[in-house]
Amino acid sequence: MKAVIKVDHLRKSYKDIKAVNDISFRVYEGEIFGMLGPNGAGKTTTMEIVEGIRKADSGRVMVLGVDVRKHPRQVKANIGVQLQTTSLYPRLSVREVMALFASFYPKSASIDKLIKLVDLEDSRKKRCKNLSGGQQQRLSIALALVNNPKVLFLDEPTSGLDPQSRHNIWNMIEYVRSKGKSVFITTHYMEEAQRLCDRVAIIDYGKIIATDKPDKLVSQHFQEEAIEFELNQQLGDDVLRGVAGVTNVVQENGKVTVYSSAVPVTVSALLDLAKQRGFELTNLYVRRATLEDVFLKLTGRRIRE
Amino acid sequence: MKTFNILLVANAKQFVREKAALFWTFIFPIFFILIFGAVFSGGDDITFNVGLVVEDDSAVAQNMSVALGQVSAFDLTLGQRADEMKALEDGDRRAVIVVNNGFGESIAQGQMANVDVYYDPAQTSSSQILLPIIQKVIDNFDRALSGSTPLIQINEETLQSHNLRAIDYLVPGILAMALMQLGLFAVAPIVVDRENKVLKRLGATPLRRSTMITSTVVFNLIVAVVQAALIIIVARLVFDVPMLGNWFYLAGFIVLGTLTFLAMGYMLSAFAKNQQTLMPLIMIVQFPMMFLSGIFFPLEMMPGFMRPIMDAMPLTYLGDSLRQIMVESSALHSHVINLAVLGGWFVVCLILAVRFFKWE
Repeated sequence: MKAVIKVDHLRKSYKDIKAVNDISFRVYEGEIFGMLGPNGAGKTTTMEIVEGIRKADSGRVMVLGVDVRKHPRQVKANIGVQLQTTSLYPRLSVREVMALFASFYPKSASIDKLIKLVDLEDSRKKRCKNLSGGQQQRLSIALALVNNPKVLFLDEPTSGLDPQSRHNIWNMIEYVRSKGKSVFITTHYMEEAQRLCDRVAIIDYGKIIATDKPDKLVSQHFQEEAIEFELNQQLGDDVLRGVAGVTNVVQENGKVTVYSSAVPVTVSALLDLAKQRGFELTNLYVRRATLEDVFLKLTGRRIRE
Repeated sequence: MKTFNILLVANAKQFVREKAALFWTFIFPIFFILIFGAVFSGGDDITFNVGLVVEDDSAVAQNMSVALGQVSAFDLTLGQRADEMKALEDGDRRAVIVVNNGFGESIAQGQMANVDVYYDPAQTSSSQILLPIIQKVIDNFDRALSGSTPLIQINEETLQSHNLRAIDYLVPGILAMALMQLGLFAVAPIVVDRENKVLKRLGATPLRRSTMITSTVVFNLIVAVVQAALIIIVARLVFDVPMLGNWFYLAGFIVLGTLTFLAMGYMLSAFAKNQQTLMPLIMIVQFPMMFLSGIFFPLEMMPGFMRPIMDAMPLTYLGDSLRQIMVESSALHSHVINLAVLGGWFVVCLILAVRFFKWE
């Protein structure tokens, strides 16, 4: 497979904080590559360095075979970028903003087709300030596609959107991939990474701690399922670890997650233990392990507090 | 070039759709002129006080003074040259007609004879209404006298008046002030764009920053020219404020003034984090300039210890040159000095702006 983005040993510090601490990865042609991590993990910084709008302290970034540091304009002409928050020209209409951005590039896609793609046909003459949050987000995706780019960069594209809008945007991104483009996306939504991405890099404190297909990441770290519940009194990890079938225990803010390869056995053993020691188990439920669990296992923290 | 044009049009659309900007740029200065004009200007003359000096005792000269005396629009005063010229300077005469010694003799010999007309160019009514009337009277007289070949020639002599009307003094100053405000406030949208990450988004496209800045500057120059034209036209139509000087010089100072204050605006925006901090900064800069640059009243009226401040402000020099060009007021400085000071401010602001302006 051909890599459209090659990042090697990227570093970037702000004062004492190592925002990006020796990151290397590849994004291949025609894939959706996700960078998953909590806020402040270094996702946006990494992405902006690759886009050529931020300078790295060291390391090398090649996009479509071009060194970003040396030829940023050449790279920018061939990529599409959506930033985390952009409120664009409130007094221009959707179509006017699209035409304006199209004029920045040597070649542009059909504006009317793009407007149709992002479902803004009824709003083409609407001023940007009158667009809803979901419409603005769709417009910014359309703007990122205005030069018919080979690689699309989306920085938390569904952040703050309702589920309906989120699904719309996922469909658009999948459509873009079906046209053979590569997509590099950052997110702190587990569902998004799991559902949308072909490959995910989990990032924390400026370092990539795991990269693989979402399913593989989960199966690699968990053969077991997760049992979650709340307790009305403190119990040590070692006590829970002693319960039959339990392989791992994570306790956080009164919320307990135990991982078990034999769920029925573990659940009945837990209930016995509760009766024996006189505490209560509430909100108990069993689920399959997710990327969240992978993150939890690797970092000891949840992505969203 | 395509990008540049589309950016320019986008600039224009955004500007026109912002009601507040339209008001401050075009309506506000006109408002100022109308209000000040109404306060300062008296009623218009229906008859013109015209002085007549006859230094020739020939019959022809006597006849001509009779002919002039019959013009109903003239309130004619016969007098000595010195007295009449003084009256003109004091504003008691709108024009002085001088029939020179030897006038009758020249005509008798069939040679050209001169009549001198002195008037104050700052009062446009003099040149627009008076001169044609005088011309007509003398033409008629001439034709009656000689039959065919005209023998009398009118020499127009303008006289520098140091007695400008308040509105004449004010209008070029308001023009300068309007250009200053245009330049300083032109950066506000850029700071807003920076705050909203629009500049950052543009940075992710191949658009060159130079193209972006050039289009903004060119757009503001166009607005400046429209604004200036509007001010000059309204002042002319409503208050008869003249534009006496060279249009080319006027345009030159309008462009230089706008560029200087644009550079100053960019410089301020470089030191302002966001719009909330930019606005007070602009106010701090523009208010002293408005009141200490001789825009509303001549600098001689200000206390002496303020002089160094006034002498430092670019608006003083822009106002001075615009006033000299438009109404031929007495110069504070020569155009060369005004150019140099404005140019100096432009360069200094530009360097600071380029050095400190942040795109994010």
